[in-house]
Amino acid sequence: MKLNYPKEWFEKSALIEGDDEIGAGVPPVNWCAREDEASVESRIALGQFVELWRRDKGWNAERLANEAGIDTGEVLELEKDPHHEPEPDAVYKLANVFGVSSRKMMELAGLVQNRNPYLREEAIRFAAQADSISKLTDAEQQSLEAFVSALTLTN
Amino acid sequence: MNESIVYLHKAENNTFVEASLFDQVTDEHLAMWSNEWVPVMKKHVGDLKLENAPEDSHWDWKKKLAEVGHLLSYQSFALICEGDLQGLMIVSNVRSAKIQEQFGKPIVYVEFVSTAPWNRVEINKPVKYRGAGRIFILAAIESSREMGYGGRVGLHSLPQAERFYESKCGFKRLGPESTHQNLCYFEMTSSQADLFCQNM
Repeated sequence: MKLNYPKEWFEKSALIEGDDEIGAGVPPVNWCAREDEASVESRIALGQFVELWRRDKGWNAERLANEAGIDTGEVLELEKDPHHEPEPDAVYKLANVFGVSSRKMMELAGLVQNRNPYLREEAIRFAAQADSISKLTDAEQQSLEAFVSALTLTN
Repeated sequence: MNESIVYLHKAENNTFVEASLFDQVTDEHLAMWSNEWVPVMKKHVGDLKLENAPEDSHWDWKKKLAEVGHLLSYQSFALICEGDLQGLMIVSNVRSAKIQEQFGKPIVYVEFVSTAPWNRVEINKPVKYRGAGRIFILAAIESSREMGYGGRVGLHSLPQAERFYESKCGFKRLGPESTHQNLCYFEMTSSQADLFCQNM
């Protein structure tokens, strides 16, 4: 990354800034406790699973939220933001709508300790194959069905 | 590592002096931080009550960089002027936007940014150099554009800097977040980034 701005830009900019404080960032207590990459990977898969599942049904996010009895915003954040820590209650209700194991959904959401090492691998494989933009292809359909099976099977 | 030529306002003689923005913090920069920056901050904090000390006075930049320096999703910046370290920033590129009009789209998120103690009016009046804050935001915007994120940037402001991000940079305030120690979250859209880069 290289900045290519004339000196005049910085002259005006410094005058705009004045003596204002500029600090930003979450203090270290949260930084040290930040989510690990594994839980982010799992949540990416969880988000894609939620989106593909409802699209497969032809539902929008609002319909899914209504069916599960949760906020639409919670559905959108689950689908779009892997850093969002979902509410356990919302994950439980969604698992009931999907007909999959709520325990495994909780694991994917990073809300309970992961006790199934294969689930994460399955989730990453699913996330890598899923395309959340386009219409569900046959391959995505198969991928979704396989992942539903993985979430449904008991250990 | 790239070096960009930028300029800071030197209050002492009311001139603009050349500075360098590096898009990677090196061991040399961290040595400057520990040898020059930390002693001044420690002296300032001294006997201050904890609640009166600058929120970032205890930040350990060596530790922060050690944790994320090897990750591709993080980038660090150092601002050097007249041989001294003037500011540091770490950004990441794996978060997504919260403003409704760009909800879910990727952003560059400013994990940490702060300026040297001699550039802060509550520690050193008049400050030594002005302009570091907007240079870092410009770098975050350009980094966002380079990633294909359209200049979208987000951050959690320390309380005393909220006015800067809202009034001086054009960020939209989305309010305090309990998940981030109640720090206020700010976000910039692509069009707000365009205005910022036009110095408006």
